[in-house]
Amino acid sequence: MTQDHASFLADGSGHLLLAGLPPGPLLALVIILPLAGLVPLLLAGPRVGEWAAMTLAGLGLAVATIIALQVWWSGTPAIYHLGGWRPPLGIALRADGVSSVLLVMSAAVFCGIGLFATTGRDRKTSFPPTYWMLSLCVASGLNLAFLAQDLFTLYVALELLTFAAVPLVCLEGKAAQLEAALTYLLFALLGSLLYLLGAVLIYAETGTLDIGLAGQRLAADSAMTGIALALMSAGLAAKAALFPLYLWLPPAHAGAPPAASALLSSLVIKAPIFLLLRIWLGLAPADLAERAAPVLAILGTGAILFCGLRALGQTRLKLLIAYSTAAQLGYVFLMLPLVKSSGPLTIPEALAWTGGFLHIVSHAFAKAAMFMAAGVIAEALGHDRIRALGGAAQAAPLSVAAFAIGGLSLMGLPPSGGFVAKVMLLTAAIQQGVPWIAVVVLAGGLLAGGYVLRVVVCALQRPEASATFVQISLRRQAMALVLAVAAIVLGFIPLEPMGFLLVGRP
Amino acid sequence: MSRIRWGVPGATDAAAADVLLVASVAVPLIVAVALVSKGLRRHASWLLLLAPMPALLAALLVREGTALVVLSPPFRLSLALDEAGGLLLGGAAILWLAAGRFAIAFLRADPSCNRFLVWWLFTMAGSFAVFLVADLASFYLAYALVSFSAFGLVAHDDSAAARRAGSLYLSLTVLGEAFLIAAFVMLAAGTDQANPLIRDAVAAFPTSPWRGAILPLLLLGFTLKMGLFPLHIWMPLAHSVAPAPGSAALSGIVVKAGVIGLVRFLPEGLPVPGWGAALVAAGMVTAYYGVAIGLTQRHPKRALAYSTVSQMGVVGVVLGAGLETGDRAALLLAAFYALNHMLLKGSMFLAVGLASAGGRSGRRVGVAAMAMLGLGLAGLPLTGGAFAKYAIKVVPTSDAAVFLLTLSAAGTMALMLHVVLLLLRDEPKAGTSAGLVGPCVALSVIAMALPAILFQAVTGNLPSVVLSTGAFLGALWPIALGGALAALLVRLRDRIPEVPAGDLFALASRLAPAASRASDLAATVDRALGRWQVAGVAILGLVAVLSTVMIVR
Repeated sequence: MTQDHASFLADGSGHLLLAGLPPGPLLALVIILPLAGLVPLLLAGPRVGEWAAMTLAGLGLAVATIIALQVWWSGTPAIYHLGGWRPPLGIALRADGVSSVLLVMSAAVFCGIGLFATTGRDRKTSFPPTYWMLSLCVASGLNLAFLAQDLFTLYVALELLTFAAVPLVCLEGKAAQLEAALTYLLFALLGSLLYLLGAVLIYAETGTLDIGLAGQRLAADSAMTGIALALMSAGLAAKAALFPLYLWLPPAHAGAPPAASALLSSLVIKAPIFLLLRIWLGLAPADLAERAAPVLAILGTGAILFCGLRALGQTRLKLLIAYSTAAQLGYVFLMLPLVKSSGPLTIPEALAWTGGFLHIVSHAFAKAAMFMAAGVIAEALGHDRIRALGGAAQAAPLSVAAFAIGGLSLMGLPPSGGFVAKVMLLTAAIQQGVPWIAVVVLAGGLLAGGYVLRVVVCALQRPEASATFVQISLRRQAMALVLAVAAIVLGFIPLEPMGFLLVGRP
Repeated sequence: MSRIRWGVPGATDAAAADVLLVASVAVPLIVAVALVSKGLRRHASWLLLLAPMPALLAALLVREGTALVVLSPPFRLSLALDEAGGLLLGGAAILWLAAGRFAIAFLRADPSCNRFLVWWLFTMAGSFAVFLVADLASFYLAYALVSFSAFGLVAHDDSAAARRAGSLYLSLTVLGEAFLIAAFVMLAAGTDQANPLIRDAVAAFPTSPWRGAILPLLLLGFTLKMGLFPLHIWMPLAHSVAPAPGSAALSGIVVKAGVIGLVRFLPEGLPVPGWGAALVAAGMVTAYYGVAIGLTQRHPKRALAYSTVSQMGVVGVVLGAGLETGDRAALLLAAFYALNHMLLKGSMFLAVGLASAGGRSGRRVGVAAMAMLGLGLAGLPLTGGAFAKYAIKVVPTSDAAVFLLTLSAAGTMALMLHVVLLLLRDEPKAGTSAGLVGPCVALSVIAMALPAILFQAVTGNLPSVVLSTGAFLGALWPIALGGALAALLVRLRDRIPEVPAGDLFALASRLAPAASRASDLAATVDRALGRWQVAGVAILGLVAVLSTVMIVR
């Protein structure tokens, strides 16, 4: 199929406009584009700045879509060498199947969250232009993390994300937010330190920072390789809030204003997760990756079960959603024992690969929708105590619907992206004879069912007689619903390995 | 076996059949969305009549086994009508139609009537879908749709009891879904397709490497929905708190999703004696247990809900016997008996609703209908129930099982009389029977007659065999025994304590402190992980563990 696409492209018989665009510079453009929005924000004031930021977000989505289409049609990754210098001297940007899907995901979710943020203007929750500056930096940092090929550029991307994300947590300047932001910052710094240490050791071992080259040169039998990979993984695990290092996540994600929570919980957290996967599925020698995979999968299991249990025990809606993020990310690590880090994949392995990345994507849409919906529900009710959510379905019907539909994906019920991802992981685990992973996936679904339905049931109850509601415009409620429906649409992906996601795999 | 014909076979061509099958599922969904509009909401009573019409027409006109609709990707939906599915589809359409009429009148004064109707229509769409879908993924979707939408019917009253029942119902539904998805994934893994047709997946079952796990998971998932002991705990709670038409739909139709699941998924032509015997035993225990607890109940709807538990036990016995022998015919007979129960129990809940809310005249009609339907359920000769009971007697392999199955009719009779007496004991309340009597009486008449009409088509026997002297007496003695038992219990009634609804669940609630302790423990661990020292040790520990597994060989 890919060859057909390639010849189709070469013929020039269709997609002339897109085919004419050189793919390489687009990769640089998609990173720079969000930063261009900082200029009007600084010079022209909040109104023009906000408008410019949304325009750039839309453009970013368009560019990301073009990159993804080009990778799809050509069946080969798009590569750009900055300044024409090739690694190991120069810096390479590369969009393979997974990267381009994540680019589109983050651009689309970013647009949704941005449109939601514009509706909060007349309320206390409005915070331009600081919010816009920070979120544009987040967008740029995410794209850099998805495209960069060398360990140091990736480090820069992670730092950019950290320094944009921490102020997002404490945007309103409340004491609790400041404390949460400080914890987050300390953890992120500790993580950066360990990651950097590991990267330096890799450089010492191989003489290069490029992931592809270093991957070829790393010796599996050197103790230094193991230590370097362990340091980098622990650092990234701290940034990715992998169990048991998740403690900073609930207060930070739950304390932020809704638009910021959505950004942090659906997108920012995906960058260190993606890098962890890059390290174990691209950099680490196959032999070492095979031995480390069970450890990471066990940590993922801990996240799914323990954080799921804690989500069930929460009394505040936003904390519940934040714990659910920590739990849901665990599924990604269940994929590691089910795929080989290099070489062609068998069908069950390709299924696990597709399921794992599809989970990342559908979680992004669902979680952004749920945080936005929770924010609106809290505005309508004046609080977010789960027990007292009665009447929310009358006060903010679209938001409750968005929460429930997003929750459908978290629970892995059809039709939703979460369902397809869960079925793929289950099938892969069963076919490869790793039943404990299947059991964990199912148990995680039960816990998710518990905490999502608990909220929905409370929201459907009648309000107490004394309750008063603030009217919320349909426009402010609508964006969460759109993103939640997108998570449902992902459920129509065929239940088979997706060739596109395998493009450019080592 | 002769074909089952509801109507004129071949009356429609294939294209029209396809359209009818798709419309059966789509029209209720469209009507549900239409009710969002205030303008259309005024016509709700007509829309509610329209919604089940395509399904009714499909059951009447589409020839079973002919139609297979496969929608093109990205929709993974294929629909087919087989004999068992057709029986239940037609019965469900009739019940939805009558109960829908009833609901409009019953909820006339309810301010949140519209919300109830939306859940109603989603449950309806799910129930039709579950009888029609032919592929694995769509079955799971349809099953989830009917199960989760039914929550809206359970919890409509929003009382403390309804909230508790609704939460328990949802928890067990999520559990059942987990059992089923595990079974379905393993079933699909045994074929070369990602989303096989159910019949292909079942055909591959005997060679599947996971068959040892698939069957117990399927049995757990589906008997949970059917309410077989000890997984019945949600049923008496949920079915008794819903408004009367909601209870009719829950007890009549929603539980049948479990029946159709077993009918569709039990391996065909492959005897599995062990699990078959287990299912027979679970069914038999449930059949008697439901009656025993039901007889202690003081509320007519709870007693009826326990009767549903008992009757599903009977269906379980039939299915289990079919599994023991690998006899496909048993599955169809189980569906036939389920149809009989669907219509009778649906009518009974409407009759109880009529008796309690319909004023003096409504009470008279309701009690009379309830008494008549009760006799039908116990299998009084000449009623449809007698035909259904006769049909399933051929299935069990042992004489003891046949005898116990026959004897269970005595329990049913006693429980039905108990319900009638409970209704008579209540003081009549003010209310109007307008709009309630018609649907209730019409449905009752259909419920009493339909199994007799379909008997020959389903079993291939002439109806006269049920009217022979031997069959006549065989059906009569359990009824006489049941009557005697009921008379005995009237004297003892006030001395028997009422078993709390949800029996075992009430016991299990004592475990609540243990659950909260576990939750507290998790919170403590959570706080500990939040301390800096612990976090520091954890991060260094992670480095140490990861490097160790990589370096040490």
